[in-house]
Amino acid sequence: MRRLIAAAVLPAAGLVFVGLGGCPPKRGPIDIPDPIAVGDAGPVDLNDVPSKVETTVIDPITGDSPADRSPLLDIMAKENAREMASLAAEADPAYYLAYQIADTRLVNLEAEGGAIVNDSDDSDRYLDVEIRIGSPELDNSRPLNDENPGLNAPLPRHGIVPFGEDPVAIANHLWLETDRRYREAVQALAYVKQDQATLSKVSDVPDFSREPAEVYVGKPVKLSFDKGQWVDRLRRCSERALKGKATRASCSVVFEETTLYYVNSEGTQLQQSWTSAQLAVSVGVKADDGMGLSRLEQRFGIAPDDLPPDDEVDKMIATVTGDLDALHGAPLGEPYVGPAILEGRAAGVFFHEVFGHRIEGHRQKDTTSGKTFASYVGKEIMPTWLSVYDDATVTTLNGQQLNGFYRFDDEGVRARRVSLVDSGKLVGFLMGRNPIKGFAESNGHGRKQPGLEPVSRQGNLIVTASKTVERNELDDLLIEEIERQGRPYGMVFTDISGGFTNTSAFQPQAFKVEPVMAYRLYPDGHRELVRGVDLSGTPLVALQSIRAASREVETFNGVCGAESGWVPVSASAPSLLLDKLEIELGYIPADRPPVLAPPSIKTSGGAQ
Amino acid sequence: MKSMMRIACLVAGAALIATPALEAKKAPPKLSGASSAVTPEILDAVAEEMARAMSDLQIGKNPKPYHVSYKLTEVDVNDAVASLGYTTFKKNRHSVIIEARVRVGSPDLDNGNFVHPQDESIDGVVTFPLPLEATPRIAARAAWLVTDQAYKEALVQLRAKLEARQASGTGQTKIPSWSDEAAVVSEAQVEVPALEDLDGMAARAEKLSATLRGLDGIRDSRVAFTSYLERRWYLNSDGTSLSDTRRVSGVLLAVLGQADDGQELAQYYTRYGTTPDDLPDDAALEKSAAKLATTIAALAKAPVLERYTGPVLFEGEGAVGLLRFALAPHLGGTPVPEGLSPQEAKTFGGALTDKVGLRALSPLLSIVDDPTARTGSGKALIGGYKIDDEGVAAQKIDVVQKGMLKALLMSRTPSHKGDRSNGHARRTAPGGMFHGTATNLILSATGGLDRKKLVAKLLAEAKANGLDRAVIIRQFDDPSITAMPEMTRRELLVMLQNHDADLPPPSILVYTVDLKGKETLVRGAQLAEVPLRAWKDVLAAGKTQSVLNFLASGDSYTIQKINTSNEGAVPSSGIESSVTTPDLLFKELDVQPYTAGQRPRPVVPPPSAK
Repeated sequence: MRRLIAAAVLPAAGLVFVGLGGCPPKRGPIDIPDPIAVGDAGPVDLNDVPSKVETTVIDPITGDSPADRSPLLDIMAKENAREMASLAAEADPAYYLAYQIADTRLVNLEAEGGAIVNDSDDSDRYLDVEIRIGSPELDNSRPLNDENPGLNAPLPRHGIVPFGEDPVAIANHLWLETDRRYREAVQALAYVKQDQATLSKVSDVPDFSREPAEVYVGKPVKLSFDKGQWVDRLRRCSERALKGKATRASCSVVFEETTLYYVNSEGTQLQQSWTSAQLAVSVGVKADDGMGLSRLEQRFGIAPDDLPPDDEVDKMIATVTGDLDALHGAPLGEPYVGPAILEGRAAGVFFHEVFGHRIEGHRQKDTTSGKTFASYVGKEIMPTWLSVYDDATVTTLNGQQLNGFYRFDDEGVRARRVSLVDSGKLVGFLMGRNPIKGFAESNGHGRKQPGLEPVSRQGNLIVTASKTVERNELDDLLIEEIERQGRPYGMVFTDISGGFTNTSAFQPQAFKVEPVMAYRLYPDGHRELVRGVDLSGTPLVALQSIRAASREVETFNGVCGAESGWVPVSASAPSLLLDKLEIELGYIPADRPPVLAPPSIKTSGGAQ
Repeated sequence: MKSMMRIACLVAGAALIATPALEAKKAPPKLSGASSAVTPEILDAVAEEMARAMSDLQIGKNPKPYHVSYKLTEVDVNDAVASLGYTTFKKNRHSVIIEARVRVGSPDLDNGNFVHPQDESIDGVVTFPLPLEATPRIAARAAWLVTDQAYKEALVQLRAKLEARQASGTGQTKIPSWSDEAAVVSEAQVEVPALEDLDGMAARAEKLSATLRGLDGIRDSRVAFTSYLERRWYLNSDGTSLSDTRRVSGVLLAVLGQADDGQELAQYYTRYGTTPDDLPDDAALEKSAAKLATTIAALAKAPVLERYTGPVLFEGEGAVGLLRFALAPHLGGTPVPEGLSPQEAKTFGGALTDKVGLRALSPLLSIVDDPTARTGSGKALIGGYKIDDEGVAAQKIDVVQKGMLKALLMSRTPSHKGDRSNGHARRTAPGGMFHGTATNLILSATGGLDRKKLVAKLLAEAKANGLDRAVIIRQFDDPSITAMPEMTRRELLVMLQNHDADLPPPSILVYTVDLKGKETLVRGAQLAEVPLRAWKDVLAAGKTQSVLNFLASGDSYTIQKINTSNEGAVPSSGIESSVTTPDLLFKELDVQPYTAGQRPRPVVPPPSAK
């Protein structure tokens, strides 16, 4: 069973608090009619105005700077060629060998309640070796049909390789890891052949695609920041955020510097270097019934200087503390089926979970996967005015930086725009080098974190609508839908913290996403914040329930975790009206409050 | 002000122990100074929470805690590793944790020394990280939460223990659960030399590791330096309030190779001390590195040992290893925790708890364990401390005198009514139990022989048994050091399934010696389980003492082999220990061939191959 963990998904900025001040007093239990068949509401009258998506795109090969080529690439290429000269001639011949060396620097600073609680600055170098033996048509990566799939998989580890550019030291460690991986692959292929020999029907879809060689050298970039200044800022930030109902308040930054060196036996040689920066403001408290409540605001940038100045951080603090206080006083939601609005960033996360993970190509092939969309190519899976694509070459959308930008994926394939849904019809999948029926080539989405094997993953997922309404008109449409269905209220979700989607064939093909800010919208137009509800459902129904989209498009930036590790992603979408969405109670762990009251340290002379 | 409060908690008659003075050095080393992370104000805040827990903490009619203790530990570590002249790992790690331990019931019967059958982590001990610049507010909050959690665990643990006793019919034991100990106050900071500079350590590792470049027959090699200090503060509701600092510098050389038949080979060299001055200089380390490389090359062509039963001579680190793996675990007096699985109970040791006063070893042998010792046989010993993990002052113990077992190494969990701790509690055992544990273990022998006579005695014994050769073991494997397993998933699975936790680690430096005294290097030797009674049949011992410091682990051989491979095998985790012993000649032991670790020879020769 495969369980995907979606992103440390990021909450929406500047969340709309409109209407909160006008909330009516809390009501008693609401009389909810039994769930009903929605019935065809007929077409919603949308304007022929497309959603606003203005992007900046970078051609992956811009900035090629051969003068900045590291000697590492030559060392890797030389050893790669030397290995292949022998291994390709073996009885179990290697036909593909790739080396990736990742130099990473990870800076983490975090303050809580005015004190620094985390201060680390680690530099590491990782080595990953990928070897394929047999032939592209059938190689060591072919999953076994019955055995525990993990048993034939490579054993991931932190491949050790020295820092520096010494040919002897580097080549020896490349050799060591290649030897281990080749031996592992020979064992794996033997099991694959045995498995294939016992099957009544074998698949004719190859295990590996042919791709053109790429050569690119990016100029190495270095992190630059004033640590003392950041420590001061984070301390002040976390002090200021500890207010209202919050019992925990932290402000943190993560700065990363990454340089990837990649060489494969097909002639690809890549050097890519980038930095990234993120700032998070997080507050938390327990509700009176013991439910953990938290709010998180994050900002992303290429460099630390891109992060917001203090006055904008103050706005983030105001948002999270305001939301938290409101959540603390909000009633628990209840299981419900009815119409709902997913606001822009929540809609982005929704698409990332419900659609994005299921459109990853390798999932259409895995024998244990539910293959939700495998048989829907060319068919309509959502309204004809909706299209979806993924494009890792987009750097900004409507002026906002996107987190899922990259030039080449972790299999050395150039990033590009991939149309996934065109006017409602499914037209493509996110492809790494693992082909599926009808899609023989990669489209540059083989991604991973160091130490793991790449699989197809999302980059910048972008949902567009050719017909839209203005955002404020969506509320009117929602009220119309509430009344048409005879429901007491509809739901508006403005922020989703994350979720998961089950793609295993042994389990229902269901998703569950966890909204942080969920409002009931009543027919009279007022909103009421509720807490403790999750969205659940099945993807095909959910996508076909979309009734309208807004012109405005919002972006959520974050990182997404799946079997190939954590990778940066973004998801952009208009706000969406769905005529039917199922809401269920979220899991509330047993509350075991401390026996004693919190300590008072008035006699200890410390900060209160 | 709050120090006053802690002192106010003290009971009358609290003993005071002195802070050991640093030994005189030619040039006084730079000292580490006081902690900036754990200040008196932080400790005051914790003490205040302790007082509050003792007076107010109770759920319904469940018992209140009768004993609460806290250990705050600040660890500051510099690690540097290099291979073939270049750094592979270089990091400082600095962290603080607070640990609360809560006991409920009474000293006669409490929740302690019991492994919960469903979840061994339910043990009344809870830890939580503290920031490096904690405020009293943060510390008080952390202490409040860990105490609360530890109390809830202790209640569950006690209930499960009572049920288990009833179900297993062991409910009538009269042995108390916890010993009464006098409160101790020693709050003065123990000063230790500052850590070595990380860049300097890395440069030294690079220089040494470069000497292993370009050598035939070596698959992989690495050199690591570590330097760490561990500051500890211990408070308990008896009124004890202590601080202590441990300090270790170490060096590790590891070389891996492969025999002609494909078996993986490992050789290593480690030295630890309390300052960098205790380590060999670079010239000596270079010689050691060269010797490892030569041995690996020789082992590649060496024959596999044939099954052998007969006299075995343990020399140098071989004797140290035998004591460490086969005897030391049984010198602890903590009874086997109730609920521990039979397999884990074996590795826990404690087979001598009912043998005090009886003959345990050959009359030639005596054993002392001395956590107060800082040096021995002219070398630094790292196994010592001022206070143990239960806040009891370290004590030197005569464990065995002329073969007779006089005392065991005790924690506050008695094995007989009236037992007291002798300051040997450390958290070394499976399940995280606090266990009476060897620290600086010193074995001495009367009538020690020089090497020539010792070998002659070995050969005479072999001949008398009709053998044409005898076996000498000079080193055991240390999986936390040689772990760089180039394993596949399937190979790992086989290893996990086949490993016998009762055996000492494989022997990695073994010789057979024929009756004329000619030594032959062999590989693939596994000493069979050494029965305790074999120690009564030690025929002779050497004249000179070998001293080895090491970092012990409570984990199994396989787990260590796997775990330590991830971060480049940095040699700074484990429990500081030392063993001092002469060479030991055993009358009869079984040594079996060890054939694990077979791998196909690499298809591609190493890049450095001519």
